[in-house]
Order: sequence, then C-alpha cells, then structure tokens
Amino acid sequence: MSTDDFGMESMLEIFIHETEEMLEHLDNILLESERAKSITEENINSIFRITHTIKGSAAMMSFNNISSLAHSVEDVFYILRENPSKLSVVFNSIFDLVFQASDFFKKELESLQKGDYTEGDPSDIINKLTHQAAIIKGEQPLDEEVSADLSGSALPSESELSGEGVVKMHVVFDNDCGMENIRAFMLLNQLQPYCDALTSIPANPEADSSLAAEIIKNGFIIICKPANSPDDVFKTIESSLNIKSYEVLQDEAPAESNTVSSGETAEAADSSPKDSEAAAAAQAKSDIQNLSKGVKQSLISVNQTKLDHLMDLVGEIVTAESMVARNPDLKGLRLDNFTKSIRELRKLTDELQDIVMSIRMVPLQGTFYKMDRIVRDMSKKLGKKAELITEGGDTEVDKTINDAIVDPFMHMIRNSIDHAIESPEERIALGKPEVGKVTLAAKNTGGEIFITISDDGCGLDPEKLLNKAKNNGLLTKPESAYTEKEIFNLILLPGFSTNTNVTEYSGRGVGMDVVRKNIEQVGGTISISSEKGKGTTFTIKIPLTLAIVDGMNITVGNTIFTLPITAIRQSFKITDESQIIHNTDGTEMIVLRGECFPVVRLRELYSIESGIEDVMNGIMIQVDCGDAGYCIFADELLGEYQVVVKPFPIFLNKYDLKNQGLSGCSVLGDGSISLILDVNTLKNE
Amino acid sequence: MTNLANDTKQIDGLNDRYLLFSIDDSYYGLPLAMALEILTIQSITRLPRVAPYIKGIINLRGKVIPVLDVRTKLGISERAYDDKTCIIVIDLHDMHVGLIVDMVCEVLSVPQENIIPPPKNYASYISSVSQLDDKIVLNLDCETFFQNDLEQIRV
Repeated sequence: MSTDDFGMESMLEIFIHETEEMLEHLDNILLESERAKSITEENINSIFRITHTIKGSAAMMSFNNISSLAHSVEDVFYILRENPSKLSVVFNSIFDLVFQASDFFKKELESLQKGDYTEGDPSDIINKLTHQAAIIKGEQPLDEEVSADLSGSALPSESELSGEGVVKMHVVFDNDCGMENIRAFMLLNQLQPYCDALTSIPANPEADSSLAAEIIKNGFIIICKPANSPDDVFKTIESSLNIKSYEVLQDEAPAESNTVSSGETAEAADSSPKDSEAAAAAQAKSDIQNLSKGVKQSLISVNQTKLDHLMDLVGEIVTAESMVARNPDLKGLRLDNFTKSIRELRKLTDELQDIVMSIRMVPLQGTFYKMDRIVRDMSKKLGKKAELITEGGDTEVDKTINDAIVDPFMHMIRNSIDHAIESPEERIALGKPEVGKVTLAAKNTGGEIFITISDDGCGLDPEKLLNKAKNNGLLTKPESAYTEKEIFNLILLPGFSTNTNVTEYSGRGVGMDVVRKNIEQVGGTISISSEKGKGTTFTIKIPLTLAIVDGMNITVGNTIFTLPITAIRQSFKITDESQIIHNTDGTEMIVLRGECFPVVRLRELYSIESGIEDVMNGIMIQVDCGDAGYCIFADELLGEYQVVVKPFPIFLNKYDLKNQGLSGCSVLGDGSISLILDVNTLKNE
Repeated sequence: MTNLANDTKQIDGLNDRYLLFSIDDSYYGLPLAMALEILTIQSITRLPRVAPYIKGIINLRGKVIPVLDVRTKLGISERAYDDKTCIIVIDLHDMHVGLIVDMVCEVLSVPQENIIPPPKNYASYISSVSQLDDKIVLNLDCETFFQNDLEQIRV
C-alpha cells in the first residue's frame, strides 16, 4: 500500500477527515428521508454526489474496496435518479443497504486511523446493491447496467455529446506533477455535478496508468455539456490543483475529437491566440470573484493536537502573565506606566483566550445525529419501537469534551433501548404509547452544560439493584442504610451489570462504570433518577471547557483557595461579633440586608490546622449558589487571578473531592497550588 | 560502572536493579524501572478529607501529582521532614505518584540468587527480600502496597 510513503500521510488524513464528514452528512440525509418515508430529488442528488466523491478520492488513495462499494451505491442512486417512481419498490431494503455501506466505510476509516489497515471485503453489500439496481430497473436489460459499469461512473456514452452547448477543453497539467491520469479522473469527478454529460479523451483515465504518459504528451481533453453555464466548469478547472493551463477548443470540431493526435494539439495551438486571451480574461475575472467572495476559502481544517498545544500555551501565557503582574519584586512600588501596560496585556490575553476557546467549540448536533442512528438501528434489530427526541443540539462544547462523551452517550442510549424500553406489545399492555421515547437534551447554564438522557421505559427497580449488588459483593453498608439515590448510583460501580443476558449491544458487565469514568475524566458528574415503570433520567453536568477561570484567591492557614469570581456577590469584614447569630444546632448565620445566610468556615469544613478563628480578623465572602446564597469565612483575600483549571490526579478519584466543594486545582504564578472551590457542592456538605 | 560496555549492559538489565531507600533503620527497595525521578522535599498543598498518608499534591513542572508518605502508610509513626527527606516519583499504571521517604540511598543491582521470597501466608506489602552483604532489603510490591488506592480507579 502506498500509505507507507510519507507524502501520502497527510493526504490520508485529509481523506479520512473529508470522508468522515461526508458519511455523517449521508447518514443525516438517510435518517431524515427514512423518517419522511420518501427521498426528495435533492437528497438523491446529494447521496449521489457524496458517494461519487468518496469513490473518486478512495480511488485516488487506491482503496479499491471503498471505491468499488461507493461505486455500487452511486450506481443505485444514479438509476433511482432516472426512475424516481421505482423508489417505493425498494424503499426499505435500500436504506438498510446504504446504512450497511456507510458502516462499512466507517469501519474502513477506523482501521485506517488505527494504522493496522487491512482491506475489508464489501462484495456482499455490492452484490446486494447490484441486485437492488436490477430490481429498480425492472425490465430494463441487464447488459445496460454492465455497460454503465464499464463506463466507470455511469457516464453517458459519447454519442450524446454533440450538438448545442457542448464545450471541449484542452487541459495541460503541471510538469512533473505525477499521476496525471488520476488527476484527470479527479478533475472529471469534480466537473460531474456541473455537467449534464461528460466524457474525455482518453476515456476512463483512471483505468490505466500508462495513460499518464499520453496525457503528459497530448494533454487531456474534456468534452462536456454544462448543466447551467460553462462558467461553472471553467471555475472548477481553475480551482483544481496542478493544472498548468487549459484552453477552450472550438466548439465545432467534432470530427477530430476521436482522433487523438499531435495534429490536434497543433490545432489547439493555432487557435490559441484568441482562446488563450479569452481564458486569460476568464482567469482575471474569476480572480476578482475569488477576492470578493472568499467564502469557500475561509474554512480550514486544523489538526487537533495543534489546537491542544495552542490551548496549553495560552494557559501558560496566562500563568506567566500573573507571574509578571504580581511579581513579589514589585510589591509596594508605584508603577503607573507598568500597570497600564499590564492592563493592555491582560486585555489581549483575555481576547486570545476567548478566540482559542471558540475555535475549539463544536455544536453537539453531530453527536446527537450519531445517537439518532443508533436508536434507529437498535430498535429495528431488537423489534422495539423507539424514537429519539433531541433538544439543544446547537449547544457548543469543547471538542475534547465532545469526543469524550460520544462513547458514554452511545452506551447510555443503547442501555435505554436494550433494557429500558419495552417491546411494543408490552407497552400497549401497560397503557403506554406504542413507540418508546428517548430524549436527549442539552442546555448551557453559564459555566456548565446540562445534558439529560431520559427514557419512558421500565425504570430502575431499587430492590433488584440492591440484590444484584449484594450478590456481586458491592455493598459496603447494611442494605437498609441505602437511600434510593445511593442504590441507583450502585449501577455506576465497576462489575455491576443489571441485565444478566448479554446482548449484542449492551450488558457485557463493563458499562456504566466506564461511562462514569469517561465523564469524570472531562470534569463532569453524572446522577440518576428513576421511577419504576415510568422511566429513567440520567443527568450529566459537564464544565463548558477544560478551562481558565477568573477567580479570587483566598487563604485559610497555609492553603490557598480560588473562588470563581462569578459566584462572589460581595466580601466584607465583620466589625461586631454580635452580627453572627448562633443557631440552635451550633451552626452560625449572618443577617445581610434583611436576609439570613449560613456561614461556612473553610477552616472547620476542611479541618485546616492553622487559620484565623476570630470572625473579626478574617473576611466574609458572600457567594451565590442557585437560589440560595451563603457566606464563606476565610483568613484573607489575595486578589483576583486568572487560573487554569487542572483536574485532581486520577489517583485521588477515590476521595471524590469534586463532591466536597473542590472542583479542581491550579498552579499559580509562583509554582504553588491553589484549590478551586465549587460553591454548589460546598454547601451540600 | 567501569566502562561503557558495562553501562549498557546494566541498562538492559534494568529489571535486576533496585532503588534503595530507608525509613528509620530499615531498607526498602523499589524496582528501578518504576522510578521516574527523585525530588527533594518541597511545599505540599494539603488536601482535605483524604487518607492520612496522602499528604497532598505538588506541582511538578506544571503537572499536579499526589504525594504519599510511605512511613504513615506502613504504619510507622510520623517524623518531621528534613533535608534528607526525598520524594520518589514513580509511574503507577501511567499515573505519576510521589512517595515521601526518609532518605534515598543508592541504586543497586541485585542478582537473582540473592532475592528470596517473603514468608508464606504472611500478608504484607513485600514482594521479596534481597539479601546483601551488609543489609537486608525489603522489596516493596507496588500492586499490593497501593491496592486500596487503586481499586476504585481501575475498571
């Protein structure tokens, strides 16, 4: 395989990336069409285009199996395009087959990415597709299909290419660009959408690599009948790679078209003064167009590791900035100009940070589509009826987070359909709607993303769960001491699988614990609520980015804490001890503007050895937490810092610091570490 | 380590080499392959509500790693850290963990014949005992030593 050669490496990456995107698009179209029970003409064309492009690029990368399967799919849709009325005959089987084909492509891409690529065998699907094609064609003789096959991409025969509007072009590739025949083929592919009919001399350049020499010598001649205006065709040729020049030959030169000879080139040269002028004018015109609408050029794909690196760098810059701005050497000095410059720097780093963050943000829609597909496949296979309802697909999350949650979501959705949603008969018997509902909803609540996955299936049975956990030896205290919530959380433990029957989709015993692990890795939390017979809801909270927070650093004893600025309402000194009210249970409260707030002393909460005890000497910070606020008592405010949030080492997962009011830690400018407080979980203590 | 050839040979045989550290008067060994680096004691950020032997977290060139006191974990009474106290950073299932020990002594190659199994039916953190000319070294079995820390992490 040529993938071993280094130059192909980045091309391979591009191929994988582009094909993946196209497959995603393909899946969307298919799902949409299947739901609508019909395919619009536009969608048939899109599918046709997608498979056609995949075929072309796979052939260029010499992945013959991918290309030949894409070819069969394309064939079917080519025929469908011609005979839309036959669609109903094959409607169901066609979707299954195309989904199978799309899965096959995905599997191939996956193994390509892993680097241990072995070609899969698509012949089974191809045979089925060919069979479908024959059915659609009905009475039409089979040999036509063969001839369509032979012509590579079901190109119309050359005889159609005469008469009005036919354009003939002579294309010369760059010297030494290599693989001229394949490039010619790619060019034909690109032109395909703009032309009603298209052929070339030599025909089927991809078939025989010896044609490369011929193309170098004689150039490549394209004869086409543009669908709209010939300008589209010219533009496509201009934007193609490695094309040295092209000329439009006289439209009326039909006789010579079949005799490819050096005489033709001479003729082209003869007519060139006029034509090349025209071409140059066209070129200039399109240059101006390119300048005026750079839409196509404004999107680029970037390797994610570069973005990760960029993100790290921004984090370092933010840390370095506070290292400079809060340098101990500057303490007590009056530095007006310096302060001004630092403020400017801060503004820029803020902006840089925002931009880098926004680059990394992707909408969840793509992930949601994938889930849609799973629901479809599974309900079909398991004979259940289920639909996926998605909300908030436009919610954006960091790419890393998006990637990390795909697997957990997939698992949870599978679980819901496999274990929770009952069969249609059962559902009717239970008085539920026949079609089960799985809802996937996302919303942005400021600093966090809230995602809920809920179903209206059978719900969790606490008794069963408890028994099961007991049998698996997972209980750590007497059964009666477990609350319902704790019982539900048991399913998140390693080695707990609620379904004893292993099915194709779920129930291998590695389940929810992996889900929890993946979500925790990106700093998220998962909680479960369920009602027996009514359904189950998983609520997942994930931080918006693995990010940088604006925080107020405070000290208690020797420990530095960072409190997110957004949570702080005010800070104040207690001037009179009588402001503190002692509750009957020994807790302290304080009245502020007619409202009563509990006081949380970090020193006591976290049993810190040193630290101020007298409320008069320390500082009170009032924080907002949902609808209820409270006051945190600490020793001293250090000032406002921007800190990069780092998760606690996985080694410490056992202690569940996340639910103890600490969302992470951060390395400060002087190398010391601060603990980042989470006001939401702090109060639950 | 007399010459280069000898050196390479010893690197190849990383498996026979142990990092020796001491706590009170006892010597302990860690497989050298596990050790990543040795740091002098530095300021440790304490964490609330963790096991007493988890002393907190440190910043190792921007990476946050947990540190454990081997003394406390072994049930030996605590003592103040001094300038001989070291943190050995080890690689435990791809996690970096710092171990606080009284003193790091040396790196030793221990021939297989000098390594004897620990007493049978005796649950401990020791994987084997190395018998050297002047001392006995207890080789820590990191799997059992960290078992209670790891059980929640591994799936």
